[in-house]
Amino acid sequence: MFKKVSSLLYLVFSISILISCVEESNPQFDIQSFTTIFDSNKFDASNFPIEMRQTPDGGYIILGGRKLNDSNFTGIYLLKADKFGNFEREIEVEQTSVNPVARFTELQTRYYFFCMDAITQQAQIASVDANLEAVTITPVQGGLTYPAAASFVDNNFVLLGYNNADKQSVISILNPDGGILASKGYSIGTGEDIEEPIIQHYIRTGRQYPFEVGKVANGLFYFNGFYNYTFSLVFSDLTSDDPIGVVQGQQDDGGFSALLPLSGNKFASSRFNFGDNYLLPNQDLSTSGITSSTDLGGYNLPELEANAKVRILRATVDTKNVLIYATDTKSKQIGLLFYEEATGKFISSRYLGFSNPYEVSSIIQTSDEGLAVCGTTYLAGRFPRICIYKLSKEQLISDVNK
Amino acid sequence: MKRLNLSLLCFILAFAAVAQEKKRKPSAYNQAKQSKENEKFLEKQWWLGFKAGANLSKATVEKTYSIIAPTNYDASSIGKKYDNFNLVGSQATIEVSFYYKRFLISFQPTYQHSRFAYTNQFVWASDDEVSNRVELNFNQEQKLDHAVLPLILKYDIYGNKLRPYVQIGVYTSLLLNATKSITATGIDNAAGGDNEFQNEPINVGAKDLFAKNHWGLLGGAGVNYNLGNNVRLNLDVMYRYGMSNISSTENRYGSDRLAGVGDALDDLTLDNLSISLGCLFPMRFLSSGFKTLDR
Repeated sequence: MFKKVSSLLYLVFSISILISCVEESNPQFDIQSFTTIFDSNKFDASNFPIEMRQTPDGGYIILGGRKLNDSNFTGIYLLKADKFGNFEREIEVEQTSVNPVARFTELQTRYYFFCMDAITQQAQIASVDANLEAVTITPVQGGLTYPAAASFVDNNFVLLGYNNADKQSVISILNPDGGILASKGYSIGTGEDIEEPIIQHYIRTGRQYPFEVGKVANGLFYFNGFYNYTFSLVFSDLTSDDPIGVVQGQQDDGGFSALLPLSGNKFASSRFNFGDNYLLPNQDLSTSGITSSTDLGGYNLPELEANAKVRILRATVDTKNVLIYATDTKSKQIGLLFYEEATGKFISSRYLGFSNPYEVSSIIQTSDEGLAVCGTTYLAGRFPRICIYKLSKEQLISDVNK
Repeated sequence: MKRLNLSLLCFILAFAAVAQEKKRKPSAYNQAKQSKENEKFLEKQWWLGFKAGANLSKATVEKTYSIIAPTNYDASSIGKKYDNFNLVGSQATIEVSFYYKRFLISFQPTYQHSRFAYTNQFVWASDDEVSNRVELNFNQEQKLDHAVLPLILKYDIYGNKLRPYVQIGVYTSLLLNATKSITATGIDNAAGGDNEFQNEPINVGAKDLFAKNHWGLLGGAGVNYNLGNNVRLNLDVMYRYGMSNISSTENRYGSDRLAGVGDALDDLTLDNLSISLGCLFPMRFLSSGFKTLDR
C-alpha cells in the first residue's frame, strides 16, 4: 500500500514539474526573431526597399522607392518599423525629388541619402530623423546629376553620379551640407548605345546595375560603374585625369555585382559575367593598372539568378569574423552564404522565403548581434511588398558554427 | 489494426483477472465473518481499463501575431477566424484508478490527436478600376498529437449496476508531433473575369512551432455499467480547459515555409471536449465468482 501511495505522490510531483515548465510569453523572443511583410491593400501599390538601418530605439528605418504615375523616375518612400517589426509610419516624399540611392547613412541622429530633382536631375542630399517626423532635401552644389551610389567615408560623403551631357561617371566628395570638396569625371565612351543601359537603370526599364562607390585602405577612391564602354571597377585619386587602376568587366555584361574592401588590396566581392555569378570572399584586387574581372575566377553558384543582386556584410558572430553574402536564388528565395573572413572558406548557408518570391535589398547586423534582412516579396505572387527577416543571435551562431 | 489491438488488450486484461482470481481462492470461513470481510474488502478496489473515442477542440487566442503588417488598413480585417469545435480528433486512454468509498483517484495517460483550424482573408483592390481586385483566402489546419497525463478525482454518485460519476482533475500534455496544412484559394478579377484559383496545399511538419508541453484543468462526467462478468463498460465525457500557451514563443517564426506565406501562430490555449467508450477491469478479487464491488 505504501508503495502505491508513493507511486501516486511521485506521479503528482512529476505532473507538477511538467506544469511548471510551460511556455511563457517572452517579448525578447519577439524582438530577437520575426518576419514582417508590410502590406498595402492598394492594387497598384508598388514599393521596393533600397536600404535599411536600425534606429537607436531598436526599430528599423527603410529607405525605399515607389512607383510614380507622373514620372519616369521612382519616387522616394520611407518606412519605420518598431523593434518587433510592427509598422509605425511611412512617408511618400513629394514627387519633386526622385531616384533615391544607397547608402542610407546614419549621421548625428539623422539618416542621409541622395536623390535628384525630378526636372533637372540635379543631385540632392536628403535626411530624415529616426521617427520619420520630417524629411529635409537640399541640392548638392556643383551641378552634379544622376546620383547612382554613395557612401560615407572620413566624415564626408563620396558620391557617384552620371553626367549625361559629358557622358561621364563622376565621383565626388561632399561634406554633409552638400558642398563639393573634390570631384572627377571619367568618360563612359561615346555613342548612344553606351548610355542606353544607364538611362534604363535610372528609369527602371532595364537592368539595375550594382553601382558602388567608396574608399580603400591605400587612400584611393573607387567606383563600380561605367568607364570606357565597360562596367568596371575604377580606382582614382580624384586628381589624375586617368584612373589609377581599372578592373574591367565585359561591356555591360560583366563586372562586379558587390564589393566590400577588407584590408589593403583585399576585397570581399562578387561578379557577374553573361548571367553567371561568382563569389570571391577573399580576393586581392590590383588597384593600379588595367586588369580584368573575368580572370578572377571565384565560386560559381548556378543556383543564383542570372546577374544576381548581391549584398555583402562583414559581421562578428560569436567572436568569429565572417562575411555574409545575401543574394537572390533561382527558386525565388533569399540565400545567405556564410564565409570565414580570414580565409574565404565556406561555412554554411540559409535560405529565406517560400511560396511567394523573395528578393534581397539590404542586410545589417543588429544591436542584439542578430541579423536583419530587408527585401521584397510578392504577395499573392504579384504585389511587391517590403519585408524584414530578423534572425536571432542564436540562429546566426548556429549558422556560423556548422 | 486499432480494433485488433483493442481486442487483444481486453483479452490480456481478462486473462490477468482470471489468473489473479485463481491465486486468491479463499479458504472456508463462517458466513457472518465472511460478510464483514467482504464489506471491508469492497471498500477499496484497483481498476485497470482502456477507452477510446473522439474529441473536438477550441483554440482561444491570448495574443495575436501576424507576419502581415498593414500600412493603410485595419489589421483586424485580415485577422484569423478560428473554426472551433468543428474538426474531429481522436484519443485512446489507459486508465488506472484506485477506488475508496465512492472516490476514485485516477491516472489516465492518453494519446490525443486534436485538430483545429483558422482562416484569414486578404483583398487587394484598386480605387480607380473595379476589376482590379484580387482576393486570397487561407485555410490553415493544425493537427497535434499529445501525450496527455491527467490526474483525476472521481466520485461515484450512486448505484450498483449503473454507476454515474463526476470528475475533476489536472493534466499536462507533452507534444509528440504537429503538422500544418495550408490551402490557399482566391478570386482574381484582374484577369478579365472571375478567375477562381486554388494553390497546391502546403503541408509542413510544425512540431517546433508548438510548446513542448502545456497544462490545464479538466472536468466531466460519465457512467459505468457492470456487464456482470467483472467488466465495466465505461462512457466518459471530459472537457479539458487549457491553462497555458500551446504555441512556441521562441520558434514562432521558425518555419521559413510558413513565414513565407505570411503565417505566424498566435499565443493560444486549447480546450478539448472528448467522449470515450471503454471497459474497466478490477484488479482485486474476493472469490471464485469474481466478486467485485458490483454485487
